[in-house]
Amino acid sequence: MTSLPFWNPVICIIAFVILIAIACLFRSRGQKKYKEGTAQTEIFLSGEEPPAVEQRHIKSHNIYWGFFQTLKEYYDPTVRAHTGIINDFIIWLIAIAALTAVILLIASLT
Amino acid sequence: MGFNSFKRALWAYHLNTGSCNGCDIEILATLTPRYDVERFGIVLVGSPRHADVLLVTGPVARQMASRVKRVYEQVPDPKMVIVVGNCGIEGGVFHESYNLVGPVDQIIPVDVYVPGCPPRPEAIIEAVVKAWVKLEQAEKQGVT
Repeated sequence: MTSLPFWNPVICIIAFVILIAIACLFRSRGQKKYKEGTAQTEIFLSGEEPPAVEQRHIKSHNIYWGFFQTLKEYYDPTVRAHTGIINDFIIWLIAIAALTAVILLIASLT
Repeated sequence: MGFNSFKRALWAYHLNTGSCNGCDIEILATLTPRYDVERFGIVLVGSPRHADVLLVTGPVARQMASRVKRVYEQVPDPKMVIVVGNCGIEGGVFHESYNLVGPVDQIIPVDVYVPGCPPRPEAIIEAVVKAWVKLEQAEKQGVT
């Protein structure tokens, strides 16, 4: 039997307020001399021009970065095979159909 | 002169504009235990937005010119610029290169020059102190 965890919403709210107050204290002690509307309030990208606000987002593809990096050796050849040219896809289709037919033929003879 | 107006540690941002790395190594040497400038509160920071002083090395390659301007503009006022090394002062060994738009004072205003190829860490520390004094004066005069 496990004991019930302690839960008191009033204490949670008090802790939350204290943490917010500490955060506000740190923030109030920060640099106040930035001039609004100048490069001083722009994000720093190693001197590169920052992209427009609507362009600043992390692409969903980045979530799979580790996955792609780990399986790069297997993934890259499949990317190269996907040329986007219809002729290549038709060749793949005919080749796979022919291979399947050969396998089925061999299977039916045995 | 006492440091009374500028009441916090001096933070510096280091920008390489095409240096051979000699001056950059000397800047890092000031942080090593032999010189240890951090004990005086002089710290290298990772963003110009946090800096009071811009340490610039290199002769400013063409591709770096816009970056140098942008980084300079991102440092909050009052700010000081220190050029470390001959390359940033007059082009140094690269002065005849087709690919330079420097020296640094052709691109951004410079407050302190540190000649040398590369300058010794003591010279860099002295330059930072001079910049600190100028910052003190700027703070007193209310320069923004």
